[in-house]
Amino acid sequence: MKWQFQTAAPDALMIALEERIDLSVNRKVQRLAQALATHGAVLEVVPSYHTLLLYYDVLESNEKQLRHLLEPIIKSLLDEPDEAETFAGQHHTIEVCYHSELAADLAAVAKQTQLSEQEVAQLHSGVTYHVYALGFAPGFAYLGDVPEPLRLPRHDTPRQKVPKGSVAIAEQQTAIYPRTSPGGWQLIGRALHWPELQAGDQVTFKPISLADFRAQEQGQEQGQERSKDDAHG
Amino acid sequence: MADTVLRIQQSGLLATLQDYGRFGQMAQGITQGGPMDERAFLWANRLLGNSFNAAQIEVTLGQFKAQFCRDCLFAVTGAEFPLQLNGRPVKTWRVLQARAGDTLTIGVNERGLRCYLAVAGGFAAKTVYGSVATVTRDGLGGLRQDGTPLQQGDELGARTPQQKTLESRRPSSKLNLTLPQQPLLSVVPTAQWQKFSRDAREQLVQQRYEVTPQQDRMGVRLKGEQGLADIPQSMISEPLPLGSIQVPADGQPIVMMNDHQTLGGYPKIGVLSWTARSVLAQLPAGRKVQFRWLELDEAQRELRQVYRFFNIRR
Repeated sequence: MKWQFQTAAPDALMIALEERIDLSVNRKVQRLAQALATHGAVLEVVPSYHTLLLYYDVLESNEKQLRHLLEPIIKSLLDEPDEAETFAGQHHTIEVCYHSELAADLAAVAKQTQLSEQEVAQLHSGVTYHVYALGFAPGFAYLGDVPEPLRLPRHDTPRQKVPKGSVAIAEQQTAIYPRTSPGGWQLIGRALHWPELQAGDQVTFKPISLADFRAQEQGQEQGQERSKDDAHG
Repeated sequence: MADTVLRIQQSGLLATLQDYGRFGQMAQGITQGGPMDERAFLWANRLLGNSFNAAQIEVTLGQFKAQFCRDCLFAVTGAEFPLQLNGRPVKTWRVLQARAGDTLTIGVNERGLRCYLAVAGGFAAKTVYGSVATVTRDGLGGLRQDGTPLQQGDELGARTPQQKTLESRRPSSKLNLTLPQQPLLSVVPTAQWQKFSRDAREQLVQQRYEVTPQQDRMGVRLKGEQGLADIPQSMISEPLPLGSIQVPADGQPIVMMNDHQTLGGYPKIGVLSWTARSVLAQLPAGRKVQFRWLELDEAQRELRQVYRFFNIRR
């Protein structure tokens, strides 16, 4: 696989693989991240789709030395066969309610894709997603790949307030907004619970009805009330 | 808090608790935070004999007032805002003695944006992911651990100081810590630098830029007489280091500061040097700046000196 080093900062070096959003490329990034995170010369690794940023201690090495040190390691890791068992990722199932009451863009997405809202839900929950990267905000996981018929662009103007738990799509990516924040993706569903995702994990979505969602939501609120009471003795 | 050292009476526009920053979590999308003017912050800790990482208050645009609740040593560095202790003018960039009951007021002027209030030992707060750095956007850090800024009535404790007696320390006057009229910001060519045309690379250092009001702890937008021409296309999002200069389609640079998002998809022409970043953190809207190219080796040499001088251990 083709790759190169790029200077990223006086204390950071980028490893750039082939520039495309692709599972096999991203798996290589994950593999490199995993292996280099514990390397003595590396302080911190930040993986993305096809790139990996390495922070290093400038008191210990300069960039030239680091390139020499890491080049053979990277080469041999990239030459490893692409076997599934080398990935230590977890699989998660996340319940999502696909309903217009909870998802501001669901109706419009259905219209644009010439599908019913139910078909949108079926398509979106019908595949297993790969966690490409975490970024933008804490815990915001970029998942892919969204089935072809659902691939739509971001909104031209982002929304000021996307509700927490919103399940959204943008081109070949999908994500859950971990907290209420601005955002430009198309909102097609809502989740109540989700685990802490790590790059390299796998995710499937399981549709639930609005009634189930509301029941769970109520349960959650009552739970919170109870724990508040506990806290106050 | 029994051990309160400072009570905030007026927080001004934005006062946040900051240590050196939150590291080791960028892969989870958690940004680093920390002091915008890193140089001023590190100086305050050094003057007081604190660890480089000791927490301070970053005061944005002054209008800050607080009362000391017990005797302590303190220092204010950064922008040279008018400073008063019980109504008497005192100096910035000096170790000062406060007595219980003393009131400190920080005014405002045109000479910068941010100052740093440090006490001997450093302010105490519970850490989140190993840091007290306040990042409002991430909802992390600060006195309440939830990213909210300091507010009137907040009471802060301090850690046990290493330095207990007043030594009249201050930075050598040979070090130029005042803001130049027209700062020259050093930029190291990085990332997509090669994808920018020769003309664009030349244009960046030839023309003057103005700092715009579109600036906060996430980033600072600059405006040149003309936008850079032939900008490379947006890319697949990649990790974004502190100080990176992103250039979106309009050709006008955005410098990523401490609370920047961890990934970004605009092409980057370079990254600011350590000094340049601290200088930019102090420049009010309307100030003119110019960029100059700096070799990576030079930037690394500067960083090494900084790490050694301030005893920074990551």
